Amino acid sequence: MKEDLHERAQKLIDAWHVEGLAADDRAWLESHLETCPVCAERAQATERALSSLRITTARVSAPLLARTQQRVRLRAHELRGRQARMRALWAACALSWLLGVLTAPLMWWAFQWLSQRTEMPKAVWLVAFPLLWTIPAAVVGAALAWRRAHAPSENGYTEGRV
Amino acid sequence: MLRTICWFMNSMEQEAQELARGLRRRDPDLLDRLIEQYHYRLLRYLLVLTGSQETAEDLFQETWVRVLERGNQYSACWKFETWLFAIARNLTLDLLRRRQPLSLDSLLEPSEGEAPIQLNAPDETTPFETAAQGEEARRIASLLHRLPPAYREVLVLRFQEDLDLNEIAAIVGTPLSTVKSRLYRGLDALRRYLEGRPS
Repeated sequence: MKEDLHERAQKLIDAWHVEGLAADDRAWLESHLETCPVCAERAQATERALSSLRITTARVSAPLLARTQQRVRLRAHELRGRQARMRALWAACALSWLLGVLTAPLMWWAFQWLSQRTEMPKAVWLVAFPLLWTIPAAVVGAALAWRRAHAPSENGYTEGRV
Repeated sequence: MLRTICWFMNSMEQEAQELARGLRRRDPDLLDRLIEQYHYRLLRYLLVLTGSQETAEDLFQETWVRVLERGNQYSACWKFETWLFAIARNLTLDLLRRRQPLSLDSLLEPSEGEAPIQLNAPDETTPFETAAQGEEARRIASLLHRLPPAYREVLVLRFQEDLDLNEIAAIVGTPLSTVKSRLYRGLDALRRYLEGRPS
């Protein structure tokens, strides 16, 4: 029975620090620690262990800080440049899409006229017309995918995690 | 009282949202301030993870560059330090995976009594210890590095960084129950080491 009490007290001592205790458990533990030197010693040992963790320190040198800040600034500058280039690329894509849509009726008419002049079967120009839109997009997509696959990963880290 | 708490919560939320906006903008001044504010805690965490001053310093820089690059992924519902430590941890794991794939398992899934990751020679004083102030701090640092890395990590996050269990689980990427069990075992191991009975 006494063993069970010690065991419970020892579990509660650890739980107190790790995840906190309910008021009842805490009251029971405090009263037990007042009367049990063995468990009180264990509570103190735990307290000492945790205090010892808190006294460990690390020193960050000023040059390391300065180097890091400089590196981050340089990278930020680089990324801003890249972002501006990407924005220009997207703007060009949007413009080309818009022009494509606006000139679609004209192109349709041009294809029709050309097929009549060359006596091309209707099925051929009906297939050629959508290809006019999809082929350039497919080529650009493939080029971008190739570039992505062959570009060095950022800082050598290839995983998509944070 | 309630009004004060509400005001405090609102101001914290606003601060987090401002931080998220700044990170999305990749504001270098904000990054400078964050580096100033969190440098000590981040380097201490990295030293605990790697046990090497040089590696920790490299990862320290990489972590801040990654913060800049992935700033758009930061959400105001997270504490910044939780996100920061998660980035640092992932970079450390990537590095360890490249350097010593076998030891990586000990950080991911520890087994009882196994040796910790040592990136430097085990018999020399680690830079973490050198950096530690005073004889007692050096002794503790040395004891800490004898603990299995997964225990050491959660102990440091819980008792040095004062993070709550959910935040630790988010950083370590394990269920809450695993974090708790590592904390209990780690605490027990640390106490035994301090009492001079490591087995």
